[in-house]
Amino acid sequence: METVSFILFSFLGALVMVGSIGTVWSRNPVTSALFLVLNFFALGGIYLLLEAQFIAVVQVIVYAGAIMVLFLFTIMLLNLDDEQALKEKFDLQKGFGILLGGVLLVEVLYILGLKINLPQKSTTLTPVEIGEAKNIGRELITNFLFPFEIVSILLLLAVVGAIVLAKKNFSPNT
Amino acid sequence: MPNNLPEIIEQVKLSLGAFVPEISLSALFLLVITLDMVLNEKRVVIPMVSLVGFVITGFFTWQQLDMPNQEYFLRMHVVDPFAVFFKFLFLGAGALAVLITMDSEELGEKNVANIGEYYAVLIAMVLGMFLMASASDMLMMFLALELVSISSYILTGYLKHQIKSSEASLKYIIYGAVSSGLMVYGMSLIYGLTGQTNIYEIAKFISANEVDEVTLTLAALLVMGGFGYKIGAVPFHFWSPDVYEGAPTPVTAFLSVGSKAAGFAMLIRFFKVAIPAEPTGELAFDWVNFFALIALVSMLLGNFAAIWQSNVKRMLAYSSIAHAGYLLLGVLVADDLGTQAVMFYLAAYTVMTVGAFYVVILIANKIGSDDVNDYRGLGKRMPLTAAALTVFLVSLTGLPPTVGFIGKYMIFTALLGKGTVFLTLAIIGVLTSAVSLYYYFKIPLNMYLRESEDGAETPMESSAFANALAAFLMILTIGFGLFFTPLANFAKNSVIMLVMN
Amino acid sequence: MKPLALLVPDALTATAVPVQAENSWVKAFESLEVFGVPVGIFAIPAIPLVFIALYALYVGVYGERKVSAFMQDRIGPNETGKWGLLQTIADILKLIQKEDIVPIAADKPLFVLGPLIIFVGAFAAYAVLPFSSEFIGADLNVGVFYAVSIVSVEAVGILMCGWGSNNKWSLFGAVRSVAQVVSYEIPASIAILVGVMMAGSLSMQKIVMSQSGELGILHYAVFQSPVAWIAMIIYFIAALAECNRAPFDIPEAESELVSGYFTEYGGMKFAMIFLAEYASMFMTSVILSVLFLGGWNSPLPNIGGVALNDWTSGPVWGAFWIILKGFFFVIVMMWVRWTFPRFRVDQLMYLCWKVLTPIALLIFVFAAVWELYVR
Repeated sequence: METVSFILFSFLGALVMVGSIGTVWSRNPVTSALFLVLNFFALGGIYLLLEAQFIAVVQVIVYAGAIMVLFLFTIMLLNLDDEQALKEKFDLQKGFGILLGGVLLVEVLYILGLKINLPQKSTTLTPVEIGEAKNIGRELITNFLFPFEIVSILLLLAVVGAIVLAKKNFSPNT
Repeated sequence: MPNNLPEIIEQVKLSLGAFVPEISLSALFLLVITLDMVLNEKRVVIPMVSLVGFVITGFFTWQQLDMPNQEYFLRMHVVDPFAVFFKFLFLGAGALAVLITMDSEELGEKNVANIGEYYAVLIAMVLGMFLMASASDMLMMFLALELVSISSYILTGYLKHQIKSSEASLKYIIYGAVSSGLMVYGMSLIYGLTGQTNIYEIAKFISANEVDEVTLTLAALLVMGGFGYKIGAVPFHFWSPDVYEGAPTPVTAFLSVGSKAAGFAMLIRFFKVAIPAEPTGELAFDWVNFFALIALVSMLLGNFAAIWQSNVKRMLAYSSIAHAGYLLLGVLVADDLGTQAVMFYLAAYTVMTVGAFYVVILIANKIGSDDVNDYRGLGKRMPLTAAALTVFLVSLTGLPPTVGFIGKYMIFTALLGKGTVFLTLAIIGVLTSAVSLYYYFKIPLNMYLRESEDGAETPMESSAFANALAAFLMILTIGFGLFFTPLANFAKNSVIMLVMN
Repeated sequence: MKPLALLVPDALTATAVPVQAENSWVKAFESLEVFGVPVGIFAIPAIPLVFIALYALYVGVYGERKVSAFMQDRIGPNETGKWGLLQTIADILKLIQKEDIVPIAADKPLFVLGPLIIFVGAFAAYAVLPFSSEFIGADLNVGVFYAVSIVSVEAVGILMCGWGSNNKWSLFGAVRSVAQVVSYEIPASIAILVGVMMAGSLSMQKIVMSQSGELGILHYAVFQSPVAWIAMIIYFIAALAECNRAPFDIPEAESELVSGYFTEYGGMKFAMIFLAEYASMFMTSVILSVLFLGGWNSPLPNIGGVALNDWTSGPVWGAFWIILKGFFFVIVMMWVRWTFPRFRVDQLMYLCWKVLTPIALLIFVFAAVWELYVR
């Protein structure tokens, strides 16, 4: 089983990388977005390998299924041309981007070399049980009740805002 | 965290008592949304309801003054004098924002058909700020910050038939998303290093265990990205000129005071609590020097870039970047005197900045422009308004007898006697204030000493209500400049923050 | 959990012994090896695949033709073979022979991949369909949720087809279809949640097992709560929309959009899209029967000594019952298609957001209260 999961992990990891590199590199926004879908999907697979079934499914339904579909939808409705039209004007921005990316890369490499001794959290649950919808739900409405409720306000606000900004009869002229 | 259900329920019940102001704001938010659907005439009723709601919330907040300093909601939310001070500040800023919105032509009946949701979003933003000031867990910090950010995006883009407003909103979203992303990445690193999300637990872990310094520094830098964006300090300031210019002016005023104050509240709590000094007196991550650098660049860039601006809102945006620098000077002192100075200055800044923006609104209502060159001859045409603007600008520069002077004075005194580096910073602060004199006084210069191009001299004063509000803010600015003891004492008493036990 | 507490006295239900799902067939397959090659692992997904092919041929294409013919008072295919039974085989042979045309202006990779992704999205959900107490591809503890989520991948495929074809009808069709699929996911998910709440699990086998008992059909979830039948109807309507079936077939609306997102497709790619549509019809029907109509449980009750339920239970009977239930709803979908006219786009959205979603939410709350305090 070890080798099987290692092969699967390598495959999914490669897919994740292909997805993210493709997202950045492809000039066509539609292809770009599709590569991102691939990336999300492969990430979902990696979650499955970690026995986090619930999170894997959430990843697929929320990101690959809903957000990216709406994203693609918008790109197609706007009928964007290739990105070439939006030529980068500022070399400064490019330089800043390279700098930031370089810093993050060095950081990741550095952290990989670290040995971290974390305090072990005591839990009687196995990894599969932690990932179960039941236990996630239980945590959400007990220990994380407060953030959970705040998220509901945040979502309501976002819905109100989206409607306000998208409503048609907003301008008094119409 | 407790694991058995009865204990959790008990804790939540207890916590609800400490959460009354926030509950009242949430109820107000829902009430305003509902009223907006039910009522036909909203332009007067909804702002009034919001104001009454703010007053009621203020009463509940006032009751929190005597509450014990404690963490609530399973260690997610803190109530202490520090948070309560900021809550009053946010309520004041929110109430002022409601008042100045009522008078704005920009958001008037001609331009905006539906104003109800505006107030709802404004209330949600105040709620987010409350949570920011009280958050004691990285999860809550992020959520509260997002609540404020999302409301700001909506408010900035509220004038959606104007391209500038939509553009500002879009830029704000993009910068906001990037910096929240950086911040969450930094927080995840901290979680990876310590295994905790609660800032008190993080502090405990850092002081008890050996933590890799390089990683912690990088993580703290990334977290600073999120905070820096909220307070508008260099190099996270790119959004502010465009957003300040494009947003409806009342929103600009509220963003520049409320958002900034909330950002400072969270920043002070995070850095003072989570990354404490080790027994040797050294910091696990040397944020003091780092803040010194940011403050220095902010003061220089903000003040010098403002010189070339002719749009008043844009100029005030750069001035607000510079003010973030001054405030950071107070933060980096890292003792009670510095924090107290920051709190006093934020209160002062709220009064004078809202005042300045309000006068800009009043002038724009009449002449339809935010350009300095169009302000010529206004000294004669709108004497009271022009006088008020002059007072606010004097205060922003930091000259006596105004509250801005006291604020700057307190910050610079806190810096003195801490060593040469701090002294140098204080001197640079004073010098850059002198630079700010140049661009601030361009406005009175135009108003009083230059004739308008068409030579019009007909008076065009605003309504009595507008004049009264401007005069009230002007009196506050001067009054707190002369009798600053009550406010300074309130800040002094509120500096008590729940620190690691 | 006590089934049917209100309608049946305790004495009757107390003796009910729930069937245990052991998934023994799947386990047998998993350990099957030929010369060290784990053939069994590949056989498990192959079984539903073969099933889909056979079902789409006979219940899908042939059945649809016969049903429509019956509804319109015609005879339908009757020339090829006995009762026209060979008609679909002939169709398939024709489709295979067709030249594989890709339009010059099309975005080739998207055009080719689109139908595949649509089919994979529909087929991947079969992994969690419980075909019997002993056979389910993967008994995930989030089974239903997985099925809901993987289907949403179909929308990506549809968009790829519509965009890749570089044809305005296709793009219109794809955009309409995605708007519809994404919207109807909401009432569908809430309705599913009602069923999940009654069973207390997201695992398909556990949901089915929670509905087994001596009294057969009376143990089915749809009779356990006064609102379950409403949830079932909402799910059925939403399922029609998610499969792009009439009366929600505006994405392919022949009279306005030629064929919508698959206008440019021919040959096997066209067949693939059709296969996916039939596959998702059966899949939604099975989910419906699992959630509300007892899955592989026999509907017949034990009446005294005549133990009809016991006689008709068991792994093979289970497969029979669930496939029967699935086919029943597929036929109902065809019946609906040939009965109702097509919705307009705005009516479609109105139905989803202003009728189905609020009702589903209300039912959800009511069902929760019912579960907590009555059952």
